[in-house]
Amino acid sequence: MRHLLWMAAFAGLTAVAFGAVAKGTNRERLLYGLKVFGEFLFIALALGWILYFLPYR
Amino acid sequence: MVAKQVPQTSRVETPPFAWVIGLAAWAVPGLGHLLQRRWARSLLLGGSVWAMFLTGLWLGGHLFMLSGAEQGASGFLTLLPMTANVGAGLPYIFCWLTNTGFAEHAQLTTFEYGNTFLLVAGLLNYLAMLDAFDLAAGRKQ
Repeated sequence: MRHLLWMAAFAGLTAVAFGAVAKGTNRERLLYGLKVFGEFLFIALALGWILYFLPYR
Repeated sequence: MVAKQVPQTSRVETPPFAWVIGLAAWAVPGLGHLLQRRWARSLLLGGSVWAMFLTGLWLGGHLFMLSGAEQGASGFLTLLPMTANVGAGLPYIFCWLTNTGFAEHAQLTTFEYGNTFLLVAGLLNYLAMLDAFDLAAGRKQ
């Protein structure tokens, strides 16, 4: 659970910075930041499950 | 004989103020935008970088530097992460002067998280620095 928390914190802070430097209206930048945040979490969770099923240690 | 017409491009000189802004943005995360009175950007970018840097130290991550003791080409392996860490600006230099954060705490479970936070804090500050420079130079609205 703690790992998930730190990963979410990392994704959140990075997404804020990416959204802040992005171009476009405030709404577009907010949506971009949320998209980056979601992508970070989704890819990390997907990779985590893929690695979980790999039989290599 | 037909003369080729080369399209004229307007060359805009970079104001010296922009370089000062870029330097300030690197030195203190958020200061580059603060000096341009872009409060929200300063808060978001500076806040993110400071939060990542301090969290990285708190999680037990360590900063990289070239000690001169590296053998052969192994110094190059340290050069890249050190370049990322240096991006944090004065916080990195402060840690270097006080010898804070350079010790490895590999026994901690959050050690790798700390490293990643510290590396990305520096990289994000490079991004913020370029953004502040572009804004000051008029290249970005």
